[in-house]
Amino acid sequence: MTDFLGVVTTRHAYALFVLLSAIGLYMMIANKNLVKKIIGLNMFQTGVFLFFVTSAYRIGGAAPIITEGAGPYVSPLPQVIVLTAIVVGISLTAVGLALTIRLYSEYGTLRADALREVIGDE
Amino acid sequence: MSVAVGITPIEASLFVFVLLTAVLTALFRDVLASIVVFAAYSLGLALLYTFYRAPDVGLTEAAIGAGVTTVFLLLTIAKTTRPASDARFESINWPAVGVCGLFVLVVGATLPAFPAVGDPASPILANADVTGYYIANAYDETGAENAVTAVLAAYRGFDTFGEAIVVFAAGVASLLVLGREVFTA
Repeated sequence: MTDFLGVVTTRHAYALFVLLSAIGLYMMIANKNLVKKIIGLNMFQTGVFLFFVTSAYRIGGAAPIITEGAGPYVSPLPQVIVLTAIVVGISLTAVGLALTIRLYSEYGTLRADALREVIGDE
Repeated sequence: MSVAVGITPIEASLFVFVLLTAVLTALFRDVLASIVVFAAYSLGLALLYTFYRAPDVGLTEAAIGAGVTTVFLLLTIAKTTRPASDARFESINWPAVGVCGLFVLVVGATLPAFPAVGDPASPILANADVTGYYIANAYDETGAENAVTAVLAAYRGFDTFGEAIVVFAAGVASLLVLGREVFTA
C-alpha cells in the first residue's frame, strides 16, 4: 500500500495523464451528443500533451530560454512536439465540428443513436 | 546528485481543479455548460504547463485550447442545436465506466516503470545527444535564445512546415464540408 502511494506521489503527473485520458475516453463512448464526443477527443489529447510536458520537466529547472547563469533547463524537445500537436489537434477539431454541422443540416439531430437509426432507415 | 521528488501543493491544487473540471465536463447534460467548464479545464492545464516550465505550451494552450476551441464549439452549437433538458447531469453509463476502468488499470500498471516526475536522472533529461545537444548548441547555431523556438523553426523546420500543411488542409476540408450552409445562412 505504501508502495502504491509512493508510486502515485512521485509519478503524479503521469497518473493525472491516465485519469484525464480515461475521462476523455468515457466521453467519447458514453455521451450521445456528437459535440460532447469531440470535447472528449480534445480531453484525451490534452492528457497526452500533459504526459509529454511533464516528461520534459526537471525539478528546479528553468524554462528552456538560454541565458547567462540560468539552468539547468527542462528539455525543449517534448515541448516542441506538444506545440505541433496542439495545432494539429485544433485542425482535427475544426474538421470534426464542420462534419457535425453538416450532419445536423442533413439529418436534424446531433445524437449518435438517433443518427444511426435515421441512416439505417434510408 | 539526488533531488527530492514528489508532489508539491501547487501541483496538487491544480490537479484537483483540472480533474474536477474534467469530470464536470463529462457529466453536465447541457452542452453549453460543458463547453464553458471545458474552457476552465484548458485554463487549468495552461497553468499546469506553465508550472512545468513550458511557457510556450502554456500560452498556446490558453490561446488555442481555451480560446479557439471554445469559439469553434460555441459556433457549432449556435449553428445546430442545444438540447433542452430538465436533468442537470447525464446518467452514468456503467459499461463505459468499466471500459475506462480497464484502460486506467492497463495504462496505470506501467506507472512504476516511469522515472519520477522531474527526476534529473530520467533518460530524457540525462540524454546528452538530444536534450543536451539542443541546450548546448541551440543559441550558437540558430541565434534563438528560446530553445523551443530554435528546435521548432530551425532543427525541426520541416515538421513545422508539415504542420502548416495540416492546418491548410483542415481549412480547405472544413470549407468543402460546410459548403454553402454556413456562408449563405
